[in-house]
Amino acid sequence: MTSYRIPGRGRIDRNKPVRFTFNGASYPGFQGDTLASALLANRVHLVGRSFKYHRPRGILSAGSEEPNALVGTSRGPGRFEPNTRATVLEVFDGLSATSQNHWPSLKWDIGAINDALYMLFSAGFYYKTFMWPKSFWNKVYEPLIRGAAGLGNSPTVPDPDTYASRFAHCDVLVVGAGPAGLAAVLEAGRSGAKIILCDEQAELGGSLLSETDAGIEGLSGWDWLKSAKDELAAMPNVTVLPRTTAIGYYHQNLLGLCQRLTDHLASPLEGAPRERMWKVRARQVVLAQGSIEKPLVFDGNDRPGVMLAGAARSYLNRYGVKVGNRPAVVTSHDSAWLAAFDLAQASAKVAAIVDVRPEVAGHLKQRAAGLGIEVLTGWTVTGTRGRLRVSSVHVNPVSRGGVVGPARTIACDALLMSGGWTPSVHLFSHTKGKLDWNEEGQMFLPGERTEESRCAGAGNGSFGLAAALAEGAAAGAAAAVDAGFKAKAAAYKVDDEVPLTGISCRELPTDRNASKAKAFVDFQNDVTAKDIRLAVREGFKSIEHIKRYTTNGMATDQGKTSNINGLAIASDAVKRPAPAVGLTTFRPPYTPTTFGAFAGYNRGELFEVTRKTPIDAWAEENGAVFEPVSLWRRAWYFPKPGEDMHAAIARECKAVRESLGMFDASTLGKIEIVGPDAAEFLNRMYTNPWSKLGVGRCRYGVLLGEDGFIRDDGVIGRVSSDRFHVTTTTGGAARVLAMMEDYLQTEWPDLKVWLTSTTEQWAVIALQGPNARKLLEPLVDSIDLSEEAFPHMSVGEGRICGAPTRLFRMSFTGERGYEVNVPARYGRAVWEKLYEAGQQFGITPYGTETMHVLRAEKGYIIVGQDTDGTLTPDDAALGWAIGKAKPDFVGKRSLTRPDMLKDDRKQLVGLLTADPNTVLEEGAQIVLDPNQALPMMMVGHVTSSYWSATLGRSIALAVVEGGRAREGETIHVPMPDRTHQARIVGTVFFDPENKRLSA
Amino acid sequence: MLHEHHPLVGREIAVREAAPLSIRAVADCARFSLRIDPARIVEASKAFGLSLPERIGDVTVSGDRLAVRLGPDEWYLTAPLAENQAIERDFAKLYATVPHSLVDVGHSEVGIEVEGTAALLALRSGIAFDIEAIPAGTGCRTIFNKAQIVLVREAENRFRIEVWRSFADHVWGILQAVSREIAIDI
Repeated sequence: MTSYRIPGRGRIDRNKPVRFTFNGASYPGFQGDTLASALLANRVHLVGRSFKYHRPRGILSAGSEEPNALVGTSRGPGRFEPNTRATVLEVFDGLSATSQNHWPSLKWDIGAINDALYMLFSAGFYYKTFMWPKSFWNKVYEPLIRGAAGLGNSPTVPDPDTYASRFAHCDVLVVGAGPAGLAAVLEAGRSGAKIILCDEQAELGGSLLSETDAGIEGLSGWDWLKSAKDELAAMPNVTVLPRTTAIGYYHQNLLGLCQRLTDHLASPLEGAPRERMWKVRARQVVLAQGSIEKPLVFDGNDRPGVMLAGAARSYLNRYGVKVGNRPAVVTSHDSAWLAAFDLAQASAKVAAIVDVRPEVAGHLKQRAAGLGIEVLTGWTVTGTRGRLRVSSVHVNPVSRGGVVGPARTIACDALLMSGGWTPSVHLFSHTKGKLDWNEEGQMFLPGERTEESRCAGAGNGSFGLAAALAEGAAAGAAAAVDAGFKAKAAAYKVDDEVPLTGISCRELPTDRNASKAKAFVDFQNDVTAKDIRLAVREGFKSIEHIKRYTTNGMATDQGKTSNINGLAIASDAVKRPAPAVGLTTFRPPYTPTTFGAFAGYNRGELFEVTRKTPIDAWAEENGAVFEPVSLWRRAWYFPKPGEDMHAAIARECKAVRESLGMFDASTLGKIEIVGPDAAEFLNRMYTNPWSKLGVGRCRYGVLLGEDGFIRDDGVIGRVSSDRFHVTTTTGGAARVLAMMEDYLQTEWPDLKVWLTSTTEQWAVIALQGPNARKLLEPLVDSIDLSEEAFPHMSVGEGRICGAPTRLFRMSFTGERGYEVNVPARYGRAVWEKLYEAGQQFGITPYGTETMHVLRAEKGYIIVGQDTDGTLTPDDAALGWAIGKAKPDFVGKRSLTRPDMLKDDRKQLVGLLTADPNTVLEEGAQIVLDPNQALPMMMVGHVTSSYWSATLGRSIALAVVEGGRAREGETIHVPMPDRTHQARIVGTVFFDPENKRLSA
Repeated sequence: MLHEHHPLVGREIAVREAAPLSIRAVADCARFSLRIDPARIVEASKAFGLSLPERIGDVTVSGDRLAVRLGPDEWYLTAPLAENQAIERDFAKLYATVPHSLVDVGHSEVGIEVEGTAALLALRSGIAFDIEAIPAGTGCRTIFNKAQIVLVREAENRFRIEVWRSFADHVWGILQAVSREIAIDI
């Protein structure tokens, strides 16, 4: 088999040959090839099977719009990627690619039976076919559809690659490095402005790389391109980003650019990230995205070997690959003639140029005649032949009256088509900039802008090299001026440019039964022209509905080659002008983007911040099991060898109740409130009264929202008359500080009080148990720990083990308790000293689970567990914490609303199960009568539930409608195994007289 | 004396290739959050022995003492460790006539210095605003990839990050990932 590579042609690096495999077969290529160009050079046109009908498919385009040539690539273990477009994938030595969507092989595919059964798969077939019998949906139809759906195989193991991200700011961002983009960036760059230029391709140049006939400023297109690149390289103010796709245009000129860093390399450096997401904030943006060629819609337009004429020109001029020896051309636009001429000059025998237009410019016909190419104008295409590659095309004359004459068969080995060009308005459209319909060109063009952006070149409907350069230069200069620089657009002299025109078509006329024609509009989702007409017949009038019913434009290519053809057909079928039928919304990303690029650095250990306390490392070394609590990881329990969780918790609970436990409470939020109005500020924020709290004393405080519901709680100590040490819940720390700051700044700016977070300043060691004081007394200086001097709910400042401390006497266990605050860097050393000194009392480190059990035995609530944002202090049995004499506090007024005073509000109660060994499920619903009909009336739910080793039975807290008045009643808790009985009791299960706090 | 545990102690990242970069955990210092009526900064400056910056974002330095104005009524102060108690005493004296809040946050924060021609590039991986535009000798509170930090541009190519200690590992991990890219120039 001879290669289709033409010696001396193209921009590939012939000094760098590579070998790659496709479906296991090894092929040669060159650096600079895409997989598509390299396969075509090896005469491989068949690269995949279509989504619905499993029809053989080839390469349609030469760019990122490719709907057909999707392949799987593997770069080693864990590095499999499905649905990569062969037209953008750069080949490298060792690349391994495979085709998709077929079984057992690409050439013989069982699924192709769908093609013969196509009548069943018309638009909306899912909705129609799988309706009966209804019971089949869950068990038969849906699993079957899901199994058949999807394109390519998902990766099965975690992605081993790393990804990067970077923020950037610039004066002018230019998207697209074709002639318009280059002209823009040269002007803006010369002004001295800070510029970023990005282009999705590996090489700058855009259409200049493929269309080689015209010259610029006396140079050939390629020579001018080289001089432009040299000039940019010499500008330190210009950052050039090839292989970088502008995926989205967001508010206030923020653009996301995805840069491919290593996918084109055979052996990337160790540790090199695969992609980088740039988040660029630009003062001015120039969009020079170019245009995308439209396919023509006719029966068999999807056969391998049928491709866009511009793509064939790219393969020839840019990659030195002839797509066929005997290509035929079918077109409604002059540009395909140039592709035919280029191929003819490259010694291909062009079978014919078939133009649907009755009249074509004389200079084109003359050139065709000179090259010996047969020309058929006013003809249509009605079919193609060839099983795995096109072998012939049927063409028919169309009379002035529209009558389609008899077919003529033209043998060919490639069929190049062009239906004209669609400006890429995607990014402009992301900004919600208005799109205007251009009737003459049958296209949408950027209208009024909403951001500081300009469109230039083909993407703005200004086709042709001279127009692109002129508009690009003007846009670049204007952008630089608007960014505050001096610039003036240069004029470019363009030689030998051929003026091009064309018309837009719907599906081409045919002499055969149009309802049987497989004339594809959306190649990736297998949507044909008749599907769109069927949708309209069935009542869909808006393009958004037609899109969803037919799935036109819904594949990974987002309809880049299909939307405008679909619209033309729909508009004809609806008999309304195209803008009235509408255009579907363009949404980011512009092309498929990896999840890795979005995640950037935030994966694995860096996925999210994991906050660790100063004592965390000790806990880890001592076998702690951890649990996440907001961003923190906290020691959950400390199992000894051979212990399960249940045994560990029971042992830890027992130690605290009988002797001494220690607990890392460093994660508690802490706020230092300082100023002459500190007590008054607390009076207004918390429900409790603070003015009379003595220096050196603490109080439990409850914080409400304006709605009267509990938001947070914590113990607050008065360190001096003007200084309070506030603690909050672990998860509520940032929220509470923000709420306080908000009130202070907006409601009470007159108060002389200031707030500072000290959460991380202090490591906090809770010592709980009857022996706590005995342990502390010899280790603490300058605080008298006697019962009289330092009773329950005291705070003092002194030293412990040589470190300064703020020592609290408080208890979240019901035992005598202290919380030792030391500056964070001393936390671990003090912990270790206390642990060592506590050995005489069998001191036992415990985690959050034991803390939860011990506090539940005492009926102490946890905000967020026992409350859910709908509980008032009274509901939570905290009515006592309300300062009734206070004129106001946040939420006070809401507490007197009639709703808040109803008897049947859900109230916090205790539950004791009839079977003491049953531990209820947290979240389980509660009913009064288990025999009522379904659905039962639920009156509350279990909020906390544990095995209490202290009591030798289970305990639970719950919220129950009118619960307090029901004390003593039996309620029922349906759980998966059976319905359990429980008795409503008070919330305090252990030591209700609080004797142990001072024992 | 008790052993002090620092999250990042002794850790260092050094890149010596095309774009030199050095990232290191810096020695501890005394740190305070000062909140005070901006009308009274003359008195506060006297107490601290340094003219407190009058514009938000400005930094003033005198000897080993430094102040950054972070907000309308908020300054971040640093000083040598040994001066911790003296500073508290001086402000305590001021409190009688000029009420304010001085809170020791010396143990809350960890200092990281990022220095070299690639310093800006390293920081741009996680900071959304245009740090190239901020002049040397200024600072602000901002976000570095999910972590709140105070950033001071000490010199053209030297930045100091002050970050809460439990966020320090995260910030360090990001800087480490970025420095790999800088080392292999990708």
